[in-house]
Amino acid sequence: MGRLRQKGKAGAAKAYITRSQATKKLQCSLADFRRLCILKGIFPREPNNRKKANKGSSAPTSFYYAKDIAYLAHEPVLKKLREHKAFAKKLSRALGRGEWSSAKSLEENKPAYKLDHIIKERYPTFIDALRDIDDALCMIFLFASLPSNPRVPTSLIENCSRLAAEWQLYIMRSSSLRKAFLSIKGVYYQAEVMDQVITWLVPYQFTQNIPSDVDVRVMLTFLELYQTLLGFVFFKLYTDAGLVYPPPLDLKKDEGAAGVGAFVLQDATVPTNHAPTKSKKVVEVEGRQVSGKDVYQTIKSLANTSSETNGVSQDTMTLETNPTEVEEDFVLQTSKSDPQSAAPLATLKSLESLPQTLNTSLFAPYTFFLSRESSRPIFEFLVRSFGGRIGWSPTSGGGSPFDESDPSITHVIIDRPTVENPNETSEEREKRSRRKYVQPQWVVDCINAGKILLEDHYTQGKTLPPHLSPFGEYEGAYDPIAPVSGEQDDMSVDEDEESESQDEDATMDESESADAAALKAVAVAATDESADLRAAELAAEAAGVDPALFEKELKKSRKKVKSDTVGSTEQDMNKMMMSNRQRKLYEKMKYSQNKRAMERSNLEAKRTNIEKQARKKAKAAHQD
Amino acid sequence: MEMLSDEEGSEGEESDGQEVDEFPEIDAESDEESDFEEREDDENEEDEEDKEDEEEESESEPDDEDPLHVFPKAKTVVSDITGQLKRVFPKIEPDYDSDSSTEDAPNRVGNIPMHWYDDMPHVGYDMDGKRVLRPAKGDELDRFLETVEDPSAWTSAFDKNTQSDKPLTTEELDLIRRLYAGENPDAEYDPYEPMTEWFTGKGKEEVMPLSAAPEPKRRWVPSKWEKKKVMKIVRAIRQGRIVPSKPKASTQPQFYAIWSESSSSHAPPLPAPKPALPTNAESYNPPEEYLLTDEERKKWEETDPEDRDRDFVPQKYSSLRLVPGYDRFIKERFNRQLDLYMAPRVQRVKLNIDPESLIPKLPSPSSLKPFPTYKSLKFVHPSLARCIAASPDGAWIVSGDENGIVSLWELSVGKEIKRWKFDGKVGALEWCPRTDVSFFVVGLEETLHFIIPPYLPPAVYHLTQTLLAPSTLPPPPENPSPVRWTTSPSNTWTDDAPLLSIHLPASSGLASQIVWHRRGDYMATVSSGGNQSGVWIHQLSRRHSQAPFKKVRGKVQMVLFHPAKPNFFVATQQYVRMYNLSEQKLLKTLTPGIKWISSMDVHLSGDHLIVGGYDRKLCWFDLELSDKPYKVLRYHSRAIRSLHFHPIYPLFASSSDDGSIQIFHARVYSDLMTDPLIVPLKILRGHEIAQGLGVLQVKWCSKHPWLVSSGADGAVNVWCN
Repeated sequence: MGRLRQKGKAGAAKAYITRSQATKKLQCSLADFRRLCILKGIFPREPNNRKKANKGSSAPTSFYYAKDIAYLAHEPVLKKLREHKAFAKKLSRALGRGEWSSAKSLEENKPAYKLDHIIKERYPTFIDALRDIDDALCMIFLFASLPSNPRVPTSLIENCSRLAAEWQLYIMRSSSLRKAFLSIKGVYYQAEVMDQVITWLVPYQFTQNIPSDVDVRVMLTFLELYQTLLGFVFFKLYTDAGLVYPPPLDLKKDEGAAGVGAFVLQDATVPTNHAPTKSKKVVEVEGRQVSGKDVYQTIKSLANTSSETNGVSQDTMTLETNPTEVEEDFVLQTSKSDPQSAAPLATLKSLESLPQTLNTSLFAPYTFFLSRESSRPIFEFLVRSFGGRIGWSPTSGGGSPFDESDPSITHVIIDRPTVENPNETSEEREKRSRRKYVQPQWVVDCINAGKILLEDHYTQGKTLPPHLSPFGEYEGAYDPIAPVSGEQDDMSVDEDEESESQDEDATMDESESADAAALKAVAVAATDESADLRAAELAAEAAGVDPALFEKELKKSRKKVKSDTVGSTEQDMNKMMMSNRQRKLYEKMKYSQNKRAMERSNLEAKRTNIEKQARKKAKAAHQD
Repeated sequence: MEMLSDEEGSEGEESDGQEVDEFPEIDAESDEESDFEEREDDENEEDEEDKEDEEEESESEPDDEDPLHVFPKAKTVVSDITGQLKRVFPKIEPDYDSDSSTEDAPNRVGNIPMHWYDDMPHVGYDMDGKRVLRPAKGDELDRFLETVEDPSAWTSAFDKNTQSDKPLTTEELDLIRRLYAGENPDAEYDPYEPMTEWFTGKGKEEVMPLSAAPEPKRRWVPSKWEKKKVMKIVRAIRQGRIVPSKPKASTQPQFYAIWSESSSSHAPPLPAPKPALPTNAESYNPPEEYLLTDEERKKWEETDPEDRDRDFVPQKYSSLRLVPGYDRFIKERFNRQLDLYMAPRVQRVKLNIDPESLIPKLPSPSSLKPFPTYKSLKFVHPSLARCIAASPDGAWIVSGDENGIVSLWELSVGKEIKRWKFDGKVGALEWCPRTDVSFFVVGLEETLHFIIPPYLPPAVYHLTQTLLAPSTLPPPPENPSPVRWTTSPSNTWTDDAPLLSIHLPASSGLASQIVWHRRGDYMATVSSGGNQSGVWIHQLSRRHSQAPFKKVRGKVQMVLFHPAKPNFFVATQQYVRMYNLSEQKLLKTLTPGIKWISSMDVHLSGDHLIVGGYDRKLCWFDLELSDKPYKVLRYHSRAIRSLHFHPIYPLFASSSDDGSIQIFHARVYSDLMTDPLIVPLKILRGHEIAQGLGVLQVKWCSKHPWLVSSGADGAVNVWCN
């Protein structure tokens, strides 16, 4: 007999810990625990068996891994939180006693924690961090647009808007924006930075008020983490792009509401006094100046002759060869033993020669002017990230590179109905004819299409074509662009109906209608039942249908019905032999499939209905 | 008598008086004498007072004459209360000389709670000890009228001493105004009086020192001890023991290349799942079909926010400038954050398979032919056809109904050959499996009738007759059985009457099942109603019946003979037991997990058993394998009524109260390792449901893959391939 096993000493009972147990173990308040969990990214787990994890109780609690909690117990932030608790007590005592000077010195030495180590722990590599900044960006952009209040101080909002501007600057600079979507919630942007797809949502420029059922403390804790995370991520992105981080802010421009334009992007290779000496590094060998070209040639000759490297070549090898001058192509060296093993490697050159589907300089040839009713931050960001130039009227902020009268303007983004201007000077008319007046959706649709679309559908005052999501939907979802399946049949039926209704007063061919009825009967009688078949036959005879024709029709309909039903009935029968578990899984899958199909068919039906209405309306208009 | 009563009355009065007099306030000075006097002088009081007044007036004159007295001269009078001499001072004229206030309250009770006088007619005593009577007080209406009439009513206040309203003086009104205004209540007080400098100021400086002592050294020499203390601190600072306040760390976080150092080898935590990307419906200008109709919108509003498949209502705006701010933006972001830190995350393997691939691949029914596919014949009984039996050669069918009609008809054409009419219900029918004789047994209430069908070849007929009614009866059993075997006398033998009858014990109920052993000598019957188990085994050759079980736990539903071994299956409500009859012991108990077993049948090999139940389940048992079912099928929508294996073909059929018959292909392999193959082949429909009952019995025709079924609608159908 093995050792007796005590209950609750192993397995799920040890691996999981409830939330109240966790706070008791960490000796912190629930608020502190929540803060820690948010900062450290620890979330509850669902045990396989709740009863086993909770000493036989099935009360609704949330469980954490006991190891997660043990890991939290060593957290320096937890220590700081405890210190802060002590500090708060001391401060309140000092204030209560009216000891202002000691309260001041306490306040000066307030314990503060840093989140650097947490960032490093949660995101060991830069890619990990970059992959997870979606939520951070959404929050930053949201808080950048919030009004300040006692709980959300101005400094926080300023920092958020700074971070938002930095991110936009980087995206514009690296032209990594890929897609944009104007939704009812805000504008979705999707960028591709270091092969990571990052999507963020920016609310429209309206004042947001924090609803009462939202716990601001939770949001602020998240924001604390996100600010630090984004700071480090941006630092890395900027330094990798050779820029100074943080980008200096031009205060004068900022006061003029220049927005993103108030920041100055500085190249990090600013130490200009060092640069020329490096680039003009001249090496003299045997009294002769050696340039990079010479070096390259020497190396090439050495490689060809495969001679031994001598001292001179060793010296020259230490020199930098300028990679921009000549690029050597990778040559595939097949091994003699197994010539097929080495597959040609995709090199940078071959990748570059591939057709570039993505056009990041889409708007480079154009100059835009933003009319004052369209939102500047959105379209400035969109146009500039695709290489276009954009100007705006001074009412939407300072820093416009040109004004409205600039002759280079090709497009005007305008979002108001057309108004006839009777006293338009010829000059104005000429200017008007030179420019294209498009609605804002054109910009976004061009970006999503990856090409410049015809402006005709988007000109001022026109009814816009629908704006579709560039992110796509699940496979097999309803596609509003594709023609509706069975639309053709429907159309023909429609036509038939119409023709029938038109010929109603005309004499109808009686025998034809009878024929149709008989054939319909055949279709009904396409079963195995002989009695039904017989009845159908009799009906056909009574209707005076040619027996040969009847046979033909019968065969046709039978074949059709058989091919439809036989398979399905067999499957139905085979479902009997499924195990219970399989049947449940099958039904679940079928349920979701049916739900999607229903959704799709519902949308299709709505669309055909709308189209029919439109056609009818058009016809009526035409007849009038 | 009257005198007596008077005395009594006076006594009473006296005592009353005493009591009354004791109660009111008694001055400390007054003695018991005053009590007497008061009692005596009730009537004389007024007279004496008058006298007193006169005396006072007469005696006041000499007082005025004396100029030396500062204070008015006192008079000595005899008090009419105590009867002794007392000094009476003249009333003081209320002028400026008087030390008391001008309006002295007549009531002299002092500052006492006035409610002590609530029950009294007076409110106190004046200076002379006379009662101050309570002023007349009208009702509320009078008082109100007074306030209206009196112009000074609003400047008067209730005086509790006199219990009446008293107009306030101008000084008092001024005081009240000052208190209201927060000023000093004293009108004469001047807070800004010019300061009078008594000891300081110009010309009053003290120029001479108070002491002539020389000034001490400590006044101008720096302190040594202070220097020591300071030096101590200086030294501590120099040595670094005291650190001057640390430079404050900047609140702005400092960013650096955090990812340039190598990271720990720990795997990074799994990233949180990203929220779903927006679809076309979220567009500010979606295609029109995405907009909700009125019903859809209503439905959306009615569903709980958590159950909605979309958290927004699609909307269409003609241009971007008309798009309003999204009011749930912050709430949605907050919900996302709640998900991030409060929702348990589980990694699920998503099954990316076609659901159709879950359906087991079975051979197509068309490759498993022959099996019955269509209804070829219909034979109708006037009432519920409960049971049927097919002859061993497969040419004849006997069917019985509730009204006691038993019909014999031909299978191939459906022509009725003969009809028997009995009194009572026909519960069971079974044809004897022997081929050399031909007869069938009808279970009619509590009797079993043995009937020989007509048109038999003479040899067969003769043999059957000798079997059922032998000329020499076998010796009766030693212990008599309650079951009686009766043969009608030979002269009454006709085709209409049974040749042999077995009378089961009374009150054993309807014989619900008859089952033959394969040799045709033994026959088992199950009676439904009896309190006993109701199972009997009858031996034809010995004309003897016996009950195999003394007692069976549960109600026996069905019994079966094993096709090869001397085994016997007994199905009670929930269990199937397998007994060995020769060794008389229990071999196995099968637990199908059915609440109420309705039917069972055993495969020809004897190793497989199917059991059907009223709870729609059909269980397939592999007797070699386990006591638990190998397969459970649940595909009838109502209770299963009957099951039957085909004697030759690998087929079995199940019939149910839903009016359908299901045909299965059931191939059993002799190889023990291979599982039996069960393929559903065909669902036969054609019986109507009557009184909640569907198809009551199915029987296979022994030579062909044909099925005979009897239903509650009275129809007996033949299904052919």
